[in-house]
Amino acid sequence: MKISSNTTYNPPADSIIMDYSDKWTGVMPEDPNAFIQFMSSNDLIFVVLAVSLIIWFVLVFYLVRVDRKITAIEEKVLNKDLNNSEV
Amino acid sequence: MSIWKYVVLIWLTVVIIAGFLIEIPKIAILEETARNLFFHVPMWFTMFATFFAGMIYSIKYLSNENLNDDLKAESATQVGIVFGICGLLTGMMWARFTWGTWWTFAEPKMNLSAIALLIYVAYFILRSSFDDPKLRARLSAVYNIFAAATVPFLLYIIPRQLPSLHPGADGNPAFSDMTAPELRIVFYPAIIGFFALAYWLTNLRYRYGRLKNVVADL
Repeated sequence: MKISSNTTYNPPADSIIMDYSDKWTGVMPEDPNAFIQFMSSNDLIFVVLAVSLIIWFVLVFYLVRVDRKITAIEEKVLNKDLNNSEV
Repeated sequence: MSIWKYVVLIWLTVVIIAGFLIEIPKIAILEETARNLFFHVPMWFTMFATFFAGMIYSIKYLSNENLNDDLKAESATQVGIVFGICGLLTGMMWARFTWGTWWTFAEPKMNLSAIALLIYVAYFILRSSFDDPKLRARLSAVYNIFAAATVPFLLYIIPRQLPSLHPGADGNPAFSDMTAPELRIVFYPAIIGFFALAYWLTNLRYRYGRLKNVVADL
């Protein structure tokens, strides 16, 4: 996928902040750096991707933690018991 | 944590990124939701795989009466239900914006997949009705084999005999002119990735159950 310029949608990257700047008086329009411009390209699809990846990485973090915790308990409990236990 | 688990995590991360970013052809009605193929369909394939694994372990239990096999069958089936619920919910979301409704009783694949899930929910209700582990294991193994036998009929054979909006119905293959060939580049890796994730989750559930049994025996 091309990063930019193939769409007709080509606003300044901080256009949303511009539109609302009179309501968010405390918010200074930030200088649209390369990251902000990249995220604003391609009809904002990268924002959806970022949201999905945040969810995925949080789930991954949780999954890895549970795995490690179970391993730790297994080392405590099973090494003594598993060999002679039926279950 | 072993190496293959890191491979699975990186693999699925790449699948998600590629699923959002590859160029896909413009397909009428579907538009960008054609990308749901990478996430919605693997949920069902993974459910089939885990239910099938559960059936294999149920058969194994009946032949060797090893309670570990019963626990493996229970674990795989539980993970399968989780993936099935994901498939159902993502399907509803997709249906709303392509067929115009969250749910319709005119759609055989929707209704029959919900029935398949209910059959599997009954497996856990059955399990919870026994205190004796051997009795529970034997009866639920028999039931699980029956439940697995219904899945091909409910999700492949019957929907293909009936008119439906769902791809893969009414005699047409799931990969038809509605689905472009380049979608497969992400679709097949997605299936592999979710299979591996399901195996990992099943394994975790099994290890948890084994620990629970040991603690209960102390």
